Order: sequence, then C-alpha cells, then structure tokens
Amino acid sequence: MAEARGLLEPRHEPWITLPSFVWLIVLFTVPAAIVFAIAFKPSDPYGGIGAGWTLQTLRSLGDPNYPAILWRTIWLSVATTALCLVLATPTAYFMARTPERWRHLLLLAIIVPFWTSFLVRIFAWKVVLHPEGLLKRALVALHVVPPEASLLYNAGAVLLVLVYTELPFAILPIYAAAEKFDFKLLEAARDLGAGPLRTFWTVFLPGIRRGLLTATLVTLIPALGSYVVPDLVGGPTSEMLGNKIAQRTFSDRNLPHASALSALLALAVLVPSAAAIALERGRRARQRAEAA
Amino acid sequence: MRRSLTPLVVTLAVLAFFYLPVAVLVGNSFNASRFGGEWSGFTLNWYRRLLAAPEIWHALGNTLAIALVATAGSTVLGTTAAFALDRYRSRLQDAHYLLVYAPLVIPEILLGISLLLFFVALRVQLGYPTIVVAHVTFCVSYVAMVVLGRLQDFDWALVEAAQDLGADAWTAGRRVVLPLLAPGIAAGALLAFTLSVDDFVITFFVAGPGTTTLPLRIYSMIKHGSPPLINALSTLLLTLTTTAVWLSQRLLKEAR
Amino acid sequence: MTFLAPKDGLSIACDNFVILEDSKPAALTHEFIRFRHGPAVAAEDAKHTKIRDRSRLRLLVPRPYGHYIGQSHSVRRLRRRPRAPHAVSDFIQFEDVSRHYGSVRAVDKVSLGIGKGEFFSLLGPSGCGKTTLLRMLAGFERPDTGRVLLDGQDITDLPPERRKVNTIFQNYALFPHLSVRQNIAFGPTVARRPRREVDDEVEKMLALIQMRDHAEKRIDQISGGQKQRVAIARALINKPAVLLLDEPLAALDLKLRQRMLIELDMVHDQVGITFIFVTHDQGEAMSLADRVAVMNEGRIEQLGRPVEIYEAPQTSFVSAFIGDSNFFEGVVAEVVDAEHVRLSIDSFQDLYAFNDKGLHQGERVYLSVRPEKIRISRDRPLEGRDHNTTRAVVDDVIYLGTHTRFWLRAGEYRLAVEQQHNRFVLDDLPIRWQDEVWLQWHVDDGYMLERYAERDEALMSFPPQRVGEGDAPAESPADGRG
Repeated sequence: MAEARGLLEPRHEPWITLPSFVWLIVLFTVPAAIVFAIAFKPSDPYGGIGAGWTLQTLRSLGDPNYPAILWRTIWLSVATTALCLVLATPTAYFMARTPERWRHLLLLAIIVPFWTSFLVRIFAWKVVLHPEGLLKRALVALHVVPPEASLLYNAGAVLLVLVYTELPFAILPIYAAAEKFDFKLLEAARDLGAGPLRTFWTVFLPGIRRGLLTATLVTLIPALGSYVVPDLVGGPTSEMLGNKIAQRTFSDRNLPHASALSALLALAVLVPSAAAIALERGRRARQRAEAA
Repeated sequence: MRRSLTPLVVTLAVLAFFYLPVAVLVGNSFNASRFGGEWSGFTLNWYRRLLAAPEIWHALGNTLAIALVATAGSTVLGTTAAFALDRYRSRLQDAHYLLVYAPLVIPEILLGISLLLFFVALRVQLGYPTIVVAHVTFCVSYVAMVVLGRLQDFDWALVEAAQDLGADAWTAGRRVVLPLLAPGIAAGALLAFTLSVDDFVITFFVAGPGTTTLPLRIYSMIKHGSPPLINALSTLLLTLTTTAVWLSQRLLKEAR
Repeated sequence: MTFLAPKDGLSIACDNFVILEDSKPAALTHEFIRFRHGPAVAAEDAKHTKIRDRSRLRLLVPRPYGHYIGQSHSVRRLRRRPRAPHAVSDFIQFEDVSRHYGSVRAVDKVSLGIGKGEFFSLLGPSGCGKTTLLRMLAGFERPDTGRVLLDGQDITDLPPERRKVNTIFQNYALFPHLSVRQNIAFGPTVARRPRREVDDEVEKMLALIQMRDHAEKRIDQISGGQKQRVAIARALINKPAVLLLDEPLAALDLKLRQRMLIELDMVHDQVGITFIFVTHDQGEAMSLADRVAVMNEGRIEQLGRPVEIYEAPQTSFVSAFIGDSNFFEGVVAEVVDAEHVRLSIDSFQDLYAFNDKGLHQGERVYLSVRPEKIRISRDRPLEGRDHNTTRAVVDDVIYLGTHTRFWLRAGEYRLAVEQQHNRFVLDDLPIRWQDEVWLQWHVDDGYMLERYAERDEALMSFPPQRVGEGDAPAESPADGRG
C-alpha cells in the first residue's frame, strides 16, 4: 500500500490512535472490568459497595428464580431473532429485486417509522394493544380472543414488540447482502433443474449467509439485553434479565447483585458472538485448506 | 421464469406492521378521546396542552445541549479513530479496532450499568456531565464506523496527485481530504446526534437525581400516563425528523 | 529493419540513424565511431571521419527511411549487442536503486539514465517494479538504497511537491469535488501564483485540450478521453521537466486507447519535455517510445529502442513478453564458418543459425524465432544454405483478417507461425487443420538468447493442448507493485 509522504506517516500513528484508544480503555474496558469485580463485593445497606470480597452474590444467582428468567430471556431472544430472519429474508429479497428507483423508496419506507423515538415506538404498541384499543376490539369482534383476554403484559406482547423494534436491523444487513447477490445464479440453478424452493435454499441463502449472520447477531444481542420492552409491555411473568438488572440497581439498590446479573448477561451475549466468529473463521480456514 | 409472490406479500405485511402503530399514534394525536379506543372527533387540544408543558421543553433543551456536546466530542474522536484504523496496519490497530467495535455489539444496558458502576466507584457526582461522557463513549464507535466506511472508498491517489501538483501535506489535507470526507464525517455526526437524542437506557443509568432529558421525560409520561401528550409530541418529532432528512437529501442531491 | 553498408564515404542524407559497435574491443578504436549529437551531426561527423575499413561500419536506419542496401551477410552486424544507454541519457538518473517490501524486491539495484526530451517507456508485467521505479522519481516512494538524480541534482529525499515532475495517474486521480477548471488550476493555486495569471494559463490550457465548453463540468460528467486530457493539462500547467504517465490508457476502451495514444505522441512533440510512460502493454510501449526498458522481477531485462527489443531480444522473457516467439533448445554441432553454426536440436535435422555470440562446438544454444519470420507453404519450398526448412502438422488455424495464425507440431515442438495476407486470400487453397506443411525461415532470422527460462513460455498465447489445460491460474507475481 502506498503511503503518502507527510500525511499520516507511520510516526503519526500514536497521535491519531491514542485519543479514541485511551477514551475507550478508560470508559469502556475499565468499567466492564469493574462490573466483573463488583460481582465479588458485598453490598452495603446504603446502596453502595461494601468492603472486602465475597462469593455470596454469585451464590444467590442459584436462586430458582434466576434460571427461569435466564431461560425466558434466551427463548424470547431466540424467537425474536428467528421471526426477524423469517420476515426479513423475503423482504430483503424483494427489495433487492425491485428496480433501482423503487428500491430507494422502499428502503426509505423501511427506515422512516424508525425515525420516531425508540420509546415512542413501544408506546405506540401499548396504545394498539391497549384493552380499550383498536386491535383488541377488532379481535374480540372477530371472536379470535375472548373479551377478558389481555393483549398486553405477557410474553406474547414482549415478543411482538421486540420483533417490531429489531426487524429493521435484520432487514438492512440481509438487504445489503442480497443487493450484491448475482440473481443470474438463481436462473442458472433453475436452468440446471432445481425447483424454486430448492434454489432458494441451496443458492440464495448460502449466497447471503454473511448478511444472515450479521442480522442474527444484531437482533439477538440487543434482544438478550432488552430492558425497556419487557418493562413497558411485559408483566411480572415476562421479565427478562435486563429488568432484573434495572430492578437491582434502582429499586433494591444492590449494586453487587446487579453486577453479577450483568456478568451473566455478558456471558449470554459472548457465547453466540464467539460462536459466530468461530463459524466464520472455521469456514474461511476450510476454504483456504480446500484452495491449497 | 415466474417469480414467487411470497416475497411481495411478506414485504407488504412487514410494511403494514411497521406503519400500523405509527398511524395509530399520529391519528390519536388528533383524537379527542383520551385513550384512543375510538374516534371522538378531531382536536388540536393535545398540541395546545403540549405547548403549555414547560417541563417537556426544558427536557428537550437539555437533550439537545447534551447531544450537541456529545456529537462534537464523538465526531472528533471517531474521525481520528477511523483515520488510524484505515491508514495503519499494526497490533495497536487490531486492539484499537476491537475497542471501537465492541461497544456496537454489547447490549446498551451493559454499557449503562458498567458506566454507572464506574462513576460510583470513582465517586463522581451523577448529572449532565456523566450523561455527556456516556454518550460520547457509545457514539464514538458509530462515528468511527461511518467514517471508516467512507475512507475505504477514498482514493489516496488523490492525495498523491495533490502533492504531485505542489501541495504540501497540510494543503493536501485541507483542499482534498477534508472536502471529500466532509459528507462522511457529517453523516457520522448526524448519526451520533440522533443516537444521543434518542438514547434512553444508558442515560437512565447515568442520570443523576435532578437531571432530565426528553427520553427520560417520555418514559415517565408513559409510566405515569399522559398518553395523548406523547402522541402529539411524537407526531411533532416525526414530522421534524422527516422534514430534516428530506431537506438534507435534497441539499445533498443539489450539491452533487 | 533495414540498414546501410556504406562503401565509399557517407553521402546518404537520412534523418535518423545510429551506428552499431563491433563486439571486438580491439577493433573499436579504429573502425567504429559513436555519434553523440543526434542524426544530423552524426551524418556530418561520419563524412569527416577517416574510416579504415568501411565495410565494417554499419548504419541502422529505421524502416520508413531506408532501403535494403548491401549484402546479406552484413545484416548480421546489426544484431550485435544492443547499444549501451545513450551517453546523453543523464537527464534523469537512477543510481543503483532498490526498494524492498518485506522480503519482496520490488526494485532490485536498477541503474538507468534517461535523456532530456526523450519519450521513454517502462514495460513489464504487473509486479515487475516499473510503477515503483516511477513512484520513486515522483517522490511517493523512497528507495532503500541508491540515488535518484534529476538534471544533476540529487532528489532522492525531496518530497513530491518540490520536484519538477508531474504525474498522470493510473485512473487520472482527478479531484471529484472540483470542476475541470479547478482541477487544472490546482497546481498554480497551491503555488500561490497571482489569481489573474492562473486564470489566464488555465484558459490557455483549456483551449489547448479543447475543453473550453466543459470547463465548469464536474469530473464525473466528462468522458474517459476528456479525463485524460484534463489530467494532462493539470500536469503540464506546472511546466514540469518530466511528465510521468502511469498506465494512463488502462481505463479506456480499445478504440479510444488508440486515439489517445496518438494524442499523447502529439503532446510530446509539442511540449518537448521528457515523458516516462509506464505500461504493461507492449503495443503502447513500442508505438510511442524512443526507448524502452523491459522490466521483470525488479530488474531491467533489456534496454533499447523498440525495434532492437523486438528484433534482438536478449532473454526468453523479453522475447515472449513482447510478441510471441518459438524457442529451440540445442547444442552447437559444428561451427560452419566465421558466422554460422549448425545446431543439433531434437526433432530437427541440421538447423543453421547466425552465430553472433561466437559460440563454440558443444555449447548450449537457445534460439528464438518470431512467428512472422517463418513462412508456411503446402508445397516444398526451394531449399538452400540460407534457409532452415522443416515439415510440420497443423494443429490449429485462426484467421485474423490481416493475417492467419497457425499452431503446428514438429516433432516434440509446438510452433507458432503467422502468415501475412498481402494477396487476395480467397484465391488460394487454404491450409487446414491436420494438413502437413513446410516451414522455412532464413538462417539469420533466428536469434540466440543470452538467457532462457522455461516458465517464460507461459507468457505466450499458445492454445491449450487439452480442454482445461488453460484454466490453471498462470503463475504471476503478486499484484499491486507493478
């Protein structure tokens, strides 16, 4: 690679790297380490952090209440991700095959609703699902749900709103991949005798796999850490890890406990991320091995 | 080859899904009924009430002030980070990339709680400064990624061309690099601004007792009910952002 | 290629010739003169020089000017070792210049002199180091060792903005945020020349490149050819001593490329400054350049005028990279006379070759014969001591309009032959696939190589022998350096 003399020479590297580097070390890495450290600290009765070290907090995670919440967090997130992928893939496919002029409009149409505030979007669903709201009345009139059923404050509502908030983040990376996909390949597959479904599965999906992988991560990770959605449209039976963290922080003011839960959440996030990275690395290594 | 109708149907369904709540919200902002279950007549009452709610405008002012400072800080840090990541290949940059990338893939709540614990451990008084610092921290990564994307399309031969034509490094930077990257940096700044204005979770964690921002205000309004005001406020915000984005697109097109 | 063998004094007026040296150093003092001051003076010099043995003096005249004069044996003399670089080629000097990227030697101890006003071409495949060499002259790369001199001044450590050298970049590197006019004005503007002066000069440049009507357009609104003109104007407005052109035609389509080639030549004639033209396209290099340096793996393989490079390649690389060639490998079976040897080559009986290298019996020989030098015929041609004649079977025929290309098999050799069509072809009975034919070439048309490497044969355009054979990725040096 050519280096322009005078402008960003190698000797300038530290000066241009350090500002962001130091900032992120101090305000991202150090706080993350503190989270793990405080999980081993006792709490003090005034909502602060006590002296000394203890395993008490970690032990209290064994409380049967927590595995249930962890499990709920995981299945709600996985279900959210799955639904998002199922909806996003055909949408992205359709967008990528639309003529260019319309494509930009379509893209805009996907993004515009998300120019409203995040909280407002959730609130809008609260209105829609409200016991006196339109949807409830319509469903009752159609005898889909009994009049006493609640559309709000349950896991279903949480799932619905999670899908709503995460779906555009699933569509965008898949669309980006689909846009680069060579649709002639589909014709080639059909020409060689594959049916439409088979073509979709064996040619299109592998062709956009990077987009799918990105979409999975960008929906799964925020879903795992979601707090506002279950807080506003969920009830006591649909609490997720995020809710517990906030509760321990603000209501009980038990910071070590909040730390321990955060560490647990961090692990829950790290596992799929690491898996995705490993998957991608393994694939590349295999390809290189095959090429050699 | 006949194309399947499924993608079209799914796309239409998705669009309906996206717009249903927004439409209900906008509609209800003009609905005389307080809970919006049924249409009880057109009214601008909620907008009038909104104008007469000083605490909302105060919160908006705070939000904008925080966003301006956070945007300025994160744009500087994010742009330098992007230049470093684009121009150098070294161990330092590998670590740097990891550092810049990580905040993007960590749930907000973890960023929020870790910053809260950090401030508590340092006995820093929570308030507007801590909110600004937190916002800069998560915005840096977004700015860096946006600028980095533009930098990857940037043709460094142009800098060489400028130097070849007699420009020293400083002149080449000012006359070639800056004007060409300005749209990318502006896009990064705009993203940082929107993220800062919209952020609730992280702000919620690092806000002090008396501090308030618009999202914090909206949250408490949702929790302690004045729904029609939120409808009106969101409609207003939606109109504003749509116009702003539409205008900037027009300007960009004309500039081209 | 023609030449003159003057018999009694030099009275021929021609405007472009050179004198070749004899290989024997002893003879040099008496029989050979080297002319240093261009053709006109050279002709004058020659008249007044006492030459003892005129038969050994050779003037080389490029095709358009001369006629074939003299006997056939004198042909051989021009194949003496191609000349050393011009004595006047010291306007730009690379002195023992090297540049390494890690363990890769992009430029490996290159020494090269380029004359003032010369149209010089660096030719080679991608990754051969030609671009690196150019960038060291422009100031974008610092050599690890060696010096770069411009007009006697050491510019090795001078930053690009302070060199009187301007570049036409590969994709022109025109500033997309500036108009055509602003692009051209860039150099004088950053040099802080007075506004009015700049405006005047830009206006002149716009007129020169016939782009006055497009002056306010943005770069993405003009065509490829126009871009090249803007790039030229943007460089020339700074009145550089040297103009560097880094594959300037690569971005253009074929027809436009040919047009811009002529335009470049005209610009060079007009401004008269030194042009250094980097290309991987032999056609571009041959048609424009006064001299060409063929580069390979960071070194200069051969330096000379295009005609010398083509007719007298020193290595198999040069021979195969510039045009196609047939290579024969064998040993000297017999030294026939002072100038000829008989070669022993598998699959052929008694091939003769001109022995310009002074080889002895038993020495190894690599012979290169250009496809168009070989005549192909159905009927047995007249044989004679002057010609090599052999039988072959046609493998493949490709009709190309102006000529036809044949691939043939003779023993274990695959040969390429080109037949020019300067007669109405339809009257002839065509040579077809599987036909058995006769091949013949003049003994003097084979040229002995100094170096041969088998992999160089991959540079040529032989068709694959089996389906799929041509699919294997060609072994090529890593891209990005070339």
